[in-house]
Amino acid sequence: MTRLNIVLLLTLVFSALMLVHSQYESRQLFMALETARKDTNRLEVERDRLLVERRAQATPLRVEQLARQQLQMRMVSPGITQYVHVQPAGAKP
Amino acid sequence: MSRSVQLSSSPLLASKTPVWRSKLIVAAIALGFMGLVARAAYVQVIENDYYKRQGEVRFARTLSLPANRGRVLDRNGLLLASSVPAPSIWANPEDLERDQVKLKQLAKLLDMSQAELDKKLENEDKTFVWLRRQLDESVVKEILALDIKGVYSIKEYKRLYPEGEAAAHIVGFTNVEDQGQEGVELVFQKALSGKAGSRRVIKDRLGRVVEAVGETIPPEDGQDLQLSIDSKVQFFAYQKLRDAVLDNKAKAGSVVVLDAQSGEVLALANYPSYSPDKRVNLSGEQLRNRALTDTFEPGSTMKPFAVALALEKGLVKPETPIQTAPGRITITGSTITDAHPHGVLTVNEIIQKSSNVGTVKLAMQIEPREMWEMYSQVGFGQKPQIPFPGVVSGRLRPYKTWRPIEQATMSYGYGISGSLFQVARAYTVFARDGEVVPATLIKTEQKVQGVRVFSEDNAKAMRKMLHMVTGPGGTAPKAQTMGYSVGGKTGTAHKQEGKGYAGKKYRGFFVGMAPIEQPRIIVAVMVDEPSNGRYFGGDVAAPVFSETVQQTLRLLGVQPDMAVKPQVVTKAVEESF
Repeated sequence: MTRLNIVLLLTLVFSALMLVHSQYESRQLFMALETARKDTNRLEVERDRLLVERRAQATPLRVEQLARQQLQMRMVSPGITQYVHVQPAGAKP
Repeated sequence: MSRSVQLSSSPLLASKTPVWRSKLIVAAIALGFMGLVARAAYVQVIENDYYKRQGEVRFARTLSLPANRGRVLDRNGLLLASSVPAPSIWANPEDLERDQVKLKQLAKLLDMSQAELDKKLENEDKTFVWLRRQLDESVVKEILALDIKGVYSIKEYKRLYPEGEAAAHIVGFTNVEDQGQEGVELVFQKALSGKAGSRRVIKDRLGRVVEAVGETIPPEDGQDLQLSIDSKVQFFAYQKLRDAVLDNKAKAGSVVVLDAQSGEVLALANYPSYSPDKRVNLSGEQLRNRALTDTFEPGSTMKPFAVALALEKGLVKPETPIQTAPGRITITGSTITDAHPHGVLTVNEIIQKSSNVGTVKLAMQIEPREMWEMYSQVGFGQKPQIPFPGVVSGRLRPYKTWRPIEQATMSYGYGISGSLFQVARAYTVFARDGEVVPATLIKTEQKVQGVRVFSEDNAKAMRKMLHMVTGPGGTAPKAQTMGYSVGGKTGTAHKQEGKGYAGKKYRGFFVGMAPIEQPRIIVAVMVDEPSNGRYFGGDVAAPVFSETVQQTLRLLGVQPDMAVKPQVVTKAVEESF
């Protein structure tokens, strides 16, 4: 009887220690998860910011200015456009 | 000899203590313990919520999970507005570390003078002072690197508008609290802003989150909003309009570009405008979305409606001759005149030459009720069905109150008012072979159902007349474009001031469509108070129309429907644009 009690006591102590350990581990993992979440958020925000920046670099105003001033380009007009008529496959020209 | 008292023999002590006294003490102590036990049981078993809660307050925290504001996109998915993080800096003057060297550096990073900063920090009773809101992240990093006690940063978001002033009136802007103030930012505030979530967590000694407790309410991010605007068309339309307003020394101007088939707004621009990122010293003149919120008498741009109704009623055919000599007509005592007297004009030519007399002669044969119904159907006197702050309905009086002279003036656009947007939308009736469609600011995929007002033949006949306006002998040869056939109607209206008309103040209009056989777009242009000599709609507004049409159709990939003399040669052609 005493032996059984000792075994039970040891089991109880072991179980209690495991509980503490697993609680500790769960908190560690949770913290890692939190960090990862924060990173996700930060990266998403960063991505948004970069998208805006890219857009700001490619606004029609800027594109036009650069095209005109640096590349000496000008607007196309139908007068300087060669229109190509695509024939459906198999159709006779 | 001194006397002494023998305490042991004090008669007081000798008296026997009654038993009930010690029993009373024991009972009292027992009662005290029972009280404690009862209290302990009460605290721990019965009423334990309060203490549990108090305990939790000391380590559990509710974190709010902010929702991201949705983006505003154009029809091709390009950004018109988006939020980026822009932390704000605040200070607690009460426990601020007043290190002059560091504060000097801080002032420099905050882009303010030392005196300004000192003023903000002088009141030491305060515990919260904004130093500067919505700074660049890099600057904030530098400020935090100074490591001044009592200076903190807080996460905030700033709205950026890459298209700047070109799309300012449509997109609008938000205030520093991320609340929409103007434009679609205001109208769709609810959908864009989303819903903040929250979660309860347990934090450890170092402030790290170690466990989540209870339920987490995830934040609902704001929805992205896709407008029908095409940012390139928007830019070109704004640019052309701005140039025209400046060239003509005009007060203001507006342009509306509609997709003729779906009624989607491809561009809507006003000048003067403002830059939504830097809003300082804004005036109402700049902020007003004139195309939607200003009403005016549309003048001759109204003529096609009355004439089309005359065709519809079978009163005339496009070739029917009408006598307009001697260039004036008197109706119940009031005389209506033409700017240039013409002789006998066909119905076609009445539109082409914009004859008031001819239009009035046709309009007077129509029942007021029928005219009123037609005007209502195409949207005059009705609020446009688009969600936008300050949209106006214009003025169309009930037909029962019309006097004959009023019916006459309405036929050529006086005594009736509307916004440029309404006029543009009304022209869908000609572009869509007699069906008017509602205009929309939101991109739509499904086919829209129109309401038939005129028959297909009459709408086509009217388009032919509108085409003649831009041809030789018309009022707007300047509306022509290279490669695309266009059609439209000019308008030049005296501005109303108080009760009468201002002597030398005009508005020039041009409303038209292209290509004329199968219209893809409708472009309406208004130039307010041109004062550089020319003020006719055909001179000030038609060129904006022409250039906008040219660029828009090219961007939409529409093939020219007119023969173009190819210029694909060696010689460079100086393009005016």
